[in-house]
Amino acid sequence: MLSDLYEFKKDLSKRGVFFCLSGPISQNLVAEIGSTLEQKMSLEDTSKSTVLRVFSTVVENAQNIMRYSDEKEETLSLGIIAVGYEGNHYFVLCGNMVENDKVEGLRKKLVKLQKMDKNQLKEYYREQRRKPPPEESKGAGLGFIDMAKKASRTIEFDFKKINDKFSFFSMKTVI
Amino acid sequence: MNNLIIEATKYTPEIVFDREKSLLEIRGKSYPENTSIFYAPVFEWLEEYFENAGDEKITVNMELIYFNSSSSKILMDFCDVLDAAASDGKNIMVNWIYEEDDEDGLEFGEEFQEDLESVTFNLVQKSIG
Repeated sequence: MLSDLYEFKKDLSKRGVFFCLSGPISQNLVAEIGSTLEQKMSLEDTSKSTVLRVFSTVVENAQNIMRYSDEKEETLSLGIIAVGYEGNHYFVLCGNMVENDKVEGLRKKLVKLQKMDKNQLKEYYREQRRKPPPEESKGAGLGFIDMAKKASRTIEFDFKKINDKFSFFSMKTVI
Repeated sequence: MNNLIIEATKYTPEIVFDREKSLLEIRGKSYPENTSIFYAPVFEWLEEYFENAGDEKITVNMELIYFNSSSSKILMDFCDVLDAAASDGKNIMVNWIYEEDDEDGLEFGEEFQEDLESVTFNLVQKSIG
């Protein structure tokens, strides 16, 4: 394991990933990750809008893990978040376990967003913001729409079935 | 009635609602884990404030560097409360303050501006440095 650590780090770099966290995600951690990333991107002369969009995507993803990950230890929610840079764009990867019976609903929601263009997403966001949050939602139910809206490309996602109970949900947002 | 003062944290904004000055200010970042719990005292304070307010000019400064999607919904509710008070005869001016090159901040301000009917809603660009 010890000698593999460098290989692991090199593999992340090869994929453009400059930040990665796998494990329990908490609100305090989100704030610290956010400000460290902000600092890093400012050093790279990234525009204010881009810094805020990456920051925002990390926060929405992390809070999704905190609210919806089905891998939990007591009150802590587990997941993985990675931030990288490729082809002149920052990207954010996010993954967590979900129960199999939630997969279809989530898939439907995300496919719907994939089919929308910028203006449709903007309208949909405003429309949903006026509505009371969906019953299963612990936030405002706007997180995915917000990410799709801020992305420069269509959001990508995948579900990998792990066993009878769980699938691993992963998502990529390119800013 | 007391002023409402909430100090900023890493993920919640500073809130200074000054009754004497008729000046309500929200400043900073907003992405608490539970938005409704954080903003509950804000809405309680507003309700009592508008019950007692007369026709004085009320200024609301909203200077949010960043807010998450659930805060966005709460901020809209907040603006709706102001709009309702304005249509009820209160004299309210809202300044939506955004940084020079923050496109999304401006866009959110424009959307709020479009949605509100009775308050005076200004978009104020803050230059950096």
